[in-house]
Amino acid sequence: MTAYPIRTRQLTAGYRGTPVLRDVTVEIPRGGIVTLIGPNGAGKSTLLHSIAGQLRPMAGCVVLEERDLAEVSRGELARRMAVVFTDRARAELMTCEDVVAGGRYPYTGRFGRLSEQDWSIMRESMEITRVTDIADRSYNRVSDGQRQRVLLARALCQQPEVILLDEPVTYLDIRYKLEFLSALRRLVAERGMTVVMSLHELELARRVSDRVLCVKNGAAERYGTPEEIFEDDYIRSLFDMDREALDGTLRDRLW
Amino acid sequence: MGAEKRTHGENGSGPGYALCFAALAAALVVLAALNLAVGSVSIAPADILLSLGGGDVSDTVYSILWQIRMPRALAALILGGALGLAGYLLQTFFHNPIAGPFVLGISSGAKLTVALLLVFLLGRGVRVGSWGMIAAAFAGACIATGFVLLMSGRVDSMAMLIVSGVMIGYICSAVTDLVVTFAQDADIVNLHNWSRGSFSGITWENVAVMAAITAAAFAAALWLAKPVDAYRMGESYAESVGVNVRLLRLGLVLLSSLLAACITAFAGPVSFVGIAVPHLVKGLFRTAKPLVMVPACFLGGAVFCLLCDLLARTLFAPTELSISTVTAVFGAPVVIAVMLRRGREKER
Repeated sequence: MTAYPIRTRQLTAGYRGTPVLRDVTVEIPRGGIVTLIGPNGAGKSTLLHSIAGQLRPMAGCVVLEERDLAEVSRGELARRMAVVFTDRARAELMTCEDVVAGGRYPYTGRFGRLSEQDWSIMRESMEITRVTDIADRSYNRVSDGQRQRVLLARALCQQPEVILLDEPVTYLDIRYKLEFLSALRRLVAERGMTVVMSLHELELARRVSDRVLCVKNGAAERYGTPEEIFEDDYIRSLFDMDREALDGTLRDRLW
Repeated sequence: MGAEKRTHGENGSGPGYALCFAALAAALVVLAALNLAVGSVSIAPADILLSLGGGDVSDTVYSILWQIRMPRALAALILGGALGLAGYLLQTFFHNPIAGPFVLGISSGAKLTVALLLVFLLGRGVRVGSWGMIAAAFAGACIATGFVLLMSGRVDSMAMLIVSGVMIGYICSAVTDLVVTFAQDADIVNLHNWSRGSFSGITWENVAVMAAITAAAFAAALWLAKPVDAYRMGESYAESVGVNVRLLRLGLVLLSSLLAACITAFAGPVSFVGIAVPHLVKGLFRTAKPLVMVPACFLGGAVFCLLCDLLARTLFAPTELSISTVTAVFGAPVVIAVMLRRGREKER
């Protein structure tokens, strides 16, 4: 096993021929949480989609366990890596449990029949994300926060080594935000899982991350421990918040 | 807690599904029997059973039963099932609850190429076999589907997709009418009937061909049930668990085009069955799991078409209604109900 399950090498990626990310080279260490922060439109989601293999690089490559991602089969990728992105899920006549069961796809047979083992993994995943009590509710009828936790349970069902999350706590209230992130920390500690996620909540990013990757204008501007990143002046410049433009009292409270 | 119980309820086809399937199957048998028995000459159920068992019945009864009603009932059953399945696959493909081979113009595309082939070959005294008809219809269906796919790349809204499908349908129908109008020939009378949609005049050879194609498509749809299950949450969700989305989409398009072509080649365009049946079936089974939906939509479509054909034949006998006249009466309200319900859900 390598120390870095995921690496990007001079990765350039974008949509319809226009690059959003340019020349990004990062190494994601095993068994930790790497958080992407940066302004809207900087390329955080593009980076996550590229690592997930859902967006083909325009140049450079993503390396999963020492292999070019393009050479990893779909099935193997789905068993090694799970993603929770912000695309709205359609779930006509699906219970939360049905959605979670979708995570077992890479492991079930031709007709997707769930074995006892599949069911026990589903139950365990739902316990971890605290959605057991809404298992039978219609997915379309639960709150956004509950959906995010259901989708995380679905991702855990894939038993991945790496899990990618795009703004996973946006819709959660503060209690669930903390609960969600501490569940992630527990997964990292207990299973050695590697987590890459984007967050807009800087205070939470500082507390939960092992490393923070600052993405700005399609480049990885800084990459380091929270202590290295979260110093007053750098965050200000990352988000282009010049002192004069901000109201004095608010500015002082920000950082 | 409830988890153990659910394991058995949802893992296979629970007692609820079995009951629904049994009800559909019973309806199928009853309606098939009625289709054989009722008509200008009534045939007693006892005679039908006798004849099915190989016993002797009068020559008139025998020929009505075996040369007219049996192939027609089988065609309504098989093609109805194919329509239900085609509608389900298209709705899945487009994530659009009012998609179907008729509204998307696929049936009309198939109709146009079949009409062109018939007029061209009949004018030269060449007879066209079942396979030739299907090949022509498949080509037309694929062309129309191609147009719809081109459109769907450009328009995001469901409504616009349907409108463009309907427009393609109108263009194809207009050209078909033009061709039929100017091709003055004895055989064109048949063509005219067919272009309005009807299960009449089906031969045993037709039945054999449509059964083979529909059975193959049905098996393929079942085989795709697992990826379709993942796909119904959306493309990126399917992709994230390892589904080859492009391949799956191609498979869905080809399968539904093939089914639509098969239907159109033999019965002409049949409206609304493809949209209405999947919704009725979802309402009955309270699920949208593909492994249940594929057989259920087939059965539901068969029941729906057997009922509609029975009405088309008997309601104003001896005048026969076109099948679409009847299917529209039952199918269109379902479509309206679906749109109203979706509107309400958006408001909430």
